[in-house]
Amino acid sequence: MSAAEGKTAGTGEPILVVRELHCHFGGIKAVNGVSLDVGRREIAGLIGPNGSGKSTLFNLISGTVTPDRGQIRFDGHEIGGRKAHAIARLGLARTFQIPAMFDNMSVTENLLAAAAEGHWQGARERAADTLALLKLEHVADNRASDLSGGQQKLLEFGRVVMRQASLILLDEVTAGVHPSIRRIIVDAIARLRERGTTVLVIEHDMEMVRNVCDRIIVMDAGRVVATGPFNDIVRNSEVMQTYLGRPQ
Amino acid sequence: MKPSWAGLLLLIAVIVVLALLPMLVNNYWLRIATGALMWAGLACSWNMLGGYAGYINFGHSAFFGLGAYVTALLMGDRLAWPFFATLPAGIVVTALFAIIIGAPTLRLRGAYFAIATWAFAEVLIQFASVMDFTGGIGGIGLPPFLDERFFYFAMFGAAALTYLITWALFERSRFGLKVKALRDHEPAAEAIGINTSLVKLQTFVLSAVTASVFGAIFAYWVTFINPKSVFGGDITDQMVVMVLLGGLGSLWGPALGGVALFVVNRIIWMYWGDTAFYIAILGAAIVLVVLFLPNGIAGLFSRRVAVSGAVLDKAVGNLVGGGPGRPS
Repeated sequence: MSAAEGKTAGTGEPILVVRELHCHFGGIKAVNGVSLDVGRREIAGLIGPNGSGKSTLFNLISGTVTPDRGQIRFDGHEIGGRKAHAIARLGLARTFQIPAMFDNMSVTENLLAAAAEGHWQGARERAADTLALLKLEHVADNRASDLSGGQQKLLEFGRVVMRQASLILLDEVTAGVHPSIRRIIVDAIARLRERGTTVLVIEHDMEMVRNVCDRIIVMDAGRVVATGPFNDIVRNSEVMQTYLGRPQ
Repeated sequence: MKPSWAGLLLLIAVIVVLALLPMLVNNYWLRIATGALMWAGLACSWNMLGGYAGYINFGHSAFFGLGAYVTALLMGDRLAWPFFATLPAGIVVTALFAIIIGAPTLRLRGAYFAIATWAFAEVLIQFASVMDFTGGIGGIGLPPFLDERFFYFAMFGAAALTYLITWALFERSRFGLKVKALRDHEPAAEAIGINTSLVKLQTFVLSAVTASVFGAIFAYWVTFINPKSVFGGDITDQMVVMVLLGGLGSLWGPALGGVALFVVNRIIWMYWGDTAFYIAILGAAIVLVVLFLPNGIAGLFSRRVAVSGAVLDKAVGNLVGGGPGRPS
């Protein structure tokens, strides 16, 4: 059993189980035998240097990219190789590293679109609540492409909230945003945890990782190299060497 | 979108005028109005896939021609079906073709999809040109029915139904949200649970069968068709330009563009006869719209349809090589 397996801060059976996952692009092994667990109601941080395979791992889990081999089990379902929409319908939602807007639709329509497949009843009320939660009411009728970069991050996060998913994958959701927007997102993540949602978040902001995450998973060169609470991770020499670049 | 009373009153006024038109004009102008309604409806049917879903179909005339040929064959001397009985048959045949063609080609994007659909229409031209049962290159005749009012109201009904379906499905329903979401970002649409392959195929079939209905009415109206007159690429070209001129991805843009271009076509025909001059006008219209009127005519009247300019940017960008043309 590797460091990432078995030990989760969540309760009961892990909601996400990944075993020996592989994916390569040409000669590049983007994900090279990753195994990890994420417990229910856990907020897990996924960190690692650029090119370490974090976003590819998200693409594999969410079905955007098909793995070469390995297993992905989500909420009791084997999802490796399934279509992205089928995985989303099982209760998995995600954001993209570069905000993936429905540019020509309004902010409200972006949120409603997230409810179009599945939880449609009460969607308009939920969209209004989400706009309030993310402080986007004043741009509700604006086109998504007219929003600032930070607002686009918020809107994409809002779509994830609208999905009412049991597992959320957040890919650098606070990267490059104003501290006030980061605070809104951090508060919203806390609200998600209260309602029982599990979150796996890719993040480079160590302050946020420390404050938000129960457990950290560190990737390098397509592999999981360490996992554990933040304070243990920052004392791990391998992590220091590969991620922070200064040997102890 | 909040309801606009002015818009509603304008719509009612247009419907009333169109309903009374046969009593107000002679048969010559009624034929022109019938043609304008047909092109407005065809442009709308093309816009379902091209404007709302962002897939530029250069083979849409294939479905117009299928509807025309099914009606022509079923109304011929051997089978002698009544006209209205041929419509559902044409819809079923067209839907089957659309599913067979759409399922593989909708995996392509941008120029690759456009070329695949164009090739499909060309195949049908060749097929209809060499087969005996279609009358070959000489074409096929239908029983004449010389009642201009009938064809006017048939086109009016078909166009009204096409716009009603478009409004209800693309502007007022969850389905429309799914279609527009996949147009703007297909991986993100998949990530929120939308089966984009299925939604694209549904849109493609809907777009095809509406064009087929206009083809059926057209065939009965003109009483004679041949492969070029109903499958010809110039038919699709006109639909594309009409939608670009009116406003890509907007509800009323195709109607405005369709009527405007068809009237120009008829004026040119009146003064210069059957000339290629109209083709030059079409080409110039494309250039002018792309350069100076990216939101189309509809964009001049409504801030909301300003969206079509961005849709146009994306569509043109995809076509000229910016978009991912590989299988999705």
